[in-house]
Amino acid sequence: MTDISKTIKKVDSDEKATGKAVYVSDIKMDGMLYAKTFRSKHQHALIKSIKYPKLEEGYYIIDHNDIKGKNFVKIIFEDMVVFADKKVNYYLEPIALVVGKDKLIIEKIINEIEVEYEVLEPVYGYVNSEINYHFTKGNIERAKMDSEKTIEYTYDTGYQEQLYIEPQGMIGYFEDNQVVLNGSIQCPYYVKNAVVSILGSDDDYVRVIQATVGGAFGGKEEFPSLLACHLALAVDKIKKPIKLIYEREEDMETTTKRHPAKITLKAYTKNNKILGMSSNVAIDGGAYIGLSGVVLSRALIASTGAYTIDNLEVTGDVFLTNTVPNGAFRGFGAPQMLFAVEMFIHHIAKDLNIDPLVLRRQYLAKQGDATSTSGKFRDPIIMNEMLKTILEISDYKKLVKPNLKSKYYEGVGMSWFLHGCGFTGSGEATHIKAVVKLKKTKDGLVHILIAAVDMGQGVKTTMKKIVANILNIPIEKVVYNNPDTNFVPDSGPTVASRTIMIVGGLVARAALKLKKHYRHLDEKTVTETFKQPEYIKWDEENFKGDAYPAYSWGINIVKVEVDKATYQVNLKNVWSIYDVGKAIDEQIILGQADGGTMQGLGYGYLEVMNAVDGKIAQKNVTDYIIPTSVDTPDMETYLMDNPYPLGPYGAKGAGELTLVGGAPAVALAIENAIGKKVYKIPVTPEYIMELMNDDEN
Amino acid sequence: MVKHIIPNSLSEALDYMSKDEYKIVSGGTDLMVQKRAWAETPPKFDQNTIYIFNLMDLKYIKKENNKIIIGANYPVEKIKDFKSTPILLKKAIEIMASPALRNLATIAGNIGNASPAGDTLPILYVHDALVKIVSKNNSRIVPINEVILSVRKTCINKDEMIKEIIIPILEFTKTSFVKVGGRKADAISKTSFTGAVNVKDGIVKDIRIAFGAVNVTVVRKKEIENKYKGLSVLELQSRINEILNDYEPFIKPITDQRSNKDYRKQVSLNLLKEFINNL
Repeated sequence: MTDISKTIKKVDSDEKATGKAVYVSDIKMDGMLYAKTFRSKHQHALIKSIKYPKLEEGYYIIDHNDIKGKNFVKIIFEDMVVFADKKVNYYLEPIALVVGKDKLIIEKIINEIEVEYEVLEPVYGYVNSEINYHFTKGNIERAKMDSEKTIEYTYDTGYQEQLYIEPQGMIGYFEDNQVVLNGSIQCPYYVKNAVVSILGSDDDYVRVIQATVGGAFGGKEEFPSLLACHLALAVDKIKKPIKLIYEREEDMETTTKRHPAKITLKAYTKNNKILGMSSNVAIDGGAYIGLSGVVLSRALIASTGAYTIDNLEVTGDVFLTNTVPNGAFRGFGAPQMLFAVEMFIHHIAKDLNIDPLVLRRQYLAKQGDATSTSGKFRDPIIMNEMLKTILEISDYKKLVKPNLKSKYYEGVGMSWFLHGCGFTGSGEATHIKAVVKLKKTKDGLVHILIAAVDMGQGVKTTMKKIVANILNIPIEKVVYNNPDTNFVPDSGPTVASRTIMIVGGLVARAALKLKKHYRHLDEKTVTETFKQPEYIKWDEENFKGDAYPAYSWGINIVKVEVDKATYQVNLKNVWSIYDVGKAIDEQIILGQADGGTMQGLGYGYLEVMNAVDGKIAQKNVTDYIIPTSVDTPDMETYLMDNPYPLGPYGAKGAGELTLVGGAPAVALAIENAIGKKVYKIPVTPEYIMELMNDDEN
Repeated sequence: MVKHIIPNSLSEALDYMSKDEYKIVSGGTDLMVQKRAWAETPPKFDQNTIYIFNLMDLKYIKKENNKIIIGANYPVEKIKDFKSTPILLKKAIEIMASPALRNLATIAGNIGNASPAGDTLPILYVHDALVKIVSKNNSRIVPINEVILSVRKTCINKDEMIKEIIIPILEFTKTSFVKVGGRKADAISKTSFTGAVNVKDGIVKDIRIAFGAVNVTVVRKKEIENKYKGLSVLELQSRINEILNDYEPFIKPITDQRSNKDYRKQVSLNLLKEFINNL
């Protein structure tokens, strides 16, 4: 049998490369209307009155008065309203949806809506805590008492914008007594549940179909539920096809981004040993909580990164501000925390005058160690082998040769990291309860019936590959259409690096069951449901136990040069090595690695986004700078097999892992080049200049 | 009602312009962005517009008497490929925007748009380029620094358009163009530095310096340049602090969504220093 990792042609590459793939924006329906969102002009204000213009026939305004259910987007908490009613909490918060045939008339109506506001003082920064979590491991008080030297640093991280190429969008229509939504989404059932809730309807009344997705990166996890609620209310009222597509600036100004964070770490040390650590994390949730609590908990759990620290105290807060709500983004709290941890271990080493590599090795997590939440690293950790390989390949020790005459400062940085795969704790068992189906039809085709979305990460190819390999049939015999909630069970959202490990694992199990029946001519449907391994124990209240069923691991090495005159950073080389258990398709993982690493590096040195007086200042692709192909260095990526017993063919999570180490690696490379400690990302030329001008750093 | 005109010749265009006021679109790479509108609706041109992209009588480049003459409609990508185009201009075009955009963008547009960050403008200043401006009954040649008056303000009257740009071919022994953008391609400059010298037998015969994006227009100061002409390279280098002090008051950048004024200023002066020190 051939190795599953052997690359095959991506099943959707032809339709995407030739432009045949149909995105929401391409869909035109008979009698289709357009919709545009009317938004708040203030960051924080009471709505005293709204005066709508007289509408000509065929034009509609939908607002909170049209809501039959409760006016909130069903995510976790009942806090984010669908349409602002009495109060607006951020600039450009949706107030109403204007629908009609002619876009110019829609724009005219929007310009004629008059809102009387009573402006309130907006709140920004880390002052208004809405959620606070706290946990400890070991005996932190003892560690504090025994320590001789406390080392403390604070790290700041900025916004990051997903900048998927295809902006948010959805088309809705009424068919067979159902509100149907076809959209660019990651989580068909999140959308469906939110819409059922806002319509106050039966489950059967709502159907959600995934259109081809042009990139998501978490940005299409929970945000589309808001847009879907707007559109569903309109479709339910008007009963005509309606298209709602965000323009780029609208998308960048009003959709969720990576949470800015401020992280303070303390190490209690004695005789060059770290006795214990404190971690205090503040994240800016924006105007509503949304998923921020979960983002915070993932950040907190990552407080010790790839290391084992015996005594630990962790606290964290979600702060609400009058800015656009922040949300899911590849990495989900880990990129902020891992940046801080990796900088911190270096800064500790510098302050203690130890080689950082020695300190890292001393605390690197080993199989059997207790995790930050006092769970257990059950599976083998092969970081030492990975390290040996990557140090050799990159010729790490000889990477930087000081050259005073050069126009550049050269530097090298390295990050070690892990990523918890799947939902936190017992989330899979208690919240998601994934169900998958495989259906064999009389014609010998096998249909994969799951809600997982291919958003470019290649899941259509890898899922089909798993089924075809297990059944030993040609991949052409396996059908995997875009999920449609009328036909597929809820296998959970396409998030949290869970799709291959959890959903793929269930699909593999279903395929094994189906194998017995495959030769028979009749139809057969096999269903598999998630069952949590007995040994996973998680106390959500106290952050105690196994936070994740498995961990993927990685190392990035980055070489940079910094221009002495302009402080601009050139990425010279990147070497990466990953343990994702087992790659279902090598090229797909290498593709994930290239994209994820660049996204992580961009987060670390290039991508600047600020809210100035509560308004996003970089709101288009001209001003929000992400790396282009010209900025992309030579990248060498290696994979090491370390099969996870419960993943299909041993596969673990991969999608987020490749991003989370980028920022610390490039920040440490810059720190190494300029000889100044770096405390925040992105490490822009402006910030480098400040550091260079600071004689005390 | 806003009029949209596609004339067949320059004279037809100028005829229209003698009667009404028009916005001129050549490549449209700036105007289409400024006038952007909701997808599938027309760009928001709220004034009469004349489209000159197809006027062949403005699409030329030639070398004449030690000058390069560039028609207003000639795209920058082709200017870059022209053999006699000054090296500094080639360098500026090479890192301008993206390839697709360079096939449409024109130098005349860069001038007409009069953005302080216009990529080719410092090069035109350093070469003392001339701009030929024509109207139905008139024609005049104006030095580049008198064409651009301020941010998005030029001396071009409403019945006039740029016909061609005249760039003298100069002798330089060393030139430097550094565009400091947010990334290596497809970026708007935070600041830019242009330097050119002609050194004969160790003596600085000519020195020309320009800064982009750090004031309302390109900064070039002939009085400062004249002060240092005739010095030896070593003498020039020994007076680097004085040179920096001379330019410092004219570097008056702003803070915006792309950078801040402290960075723009310090980097502009760093680049000047680096240029002088490496002569």
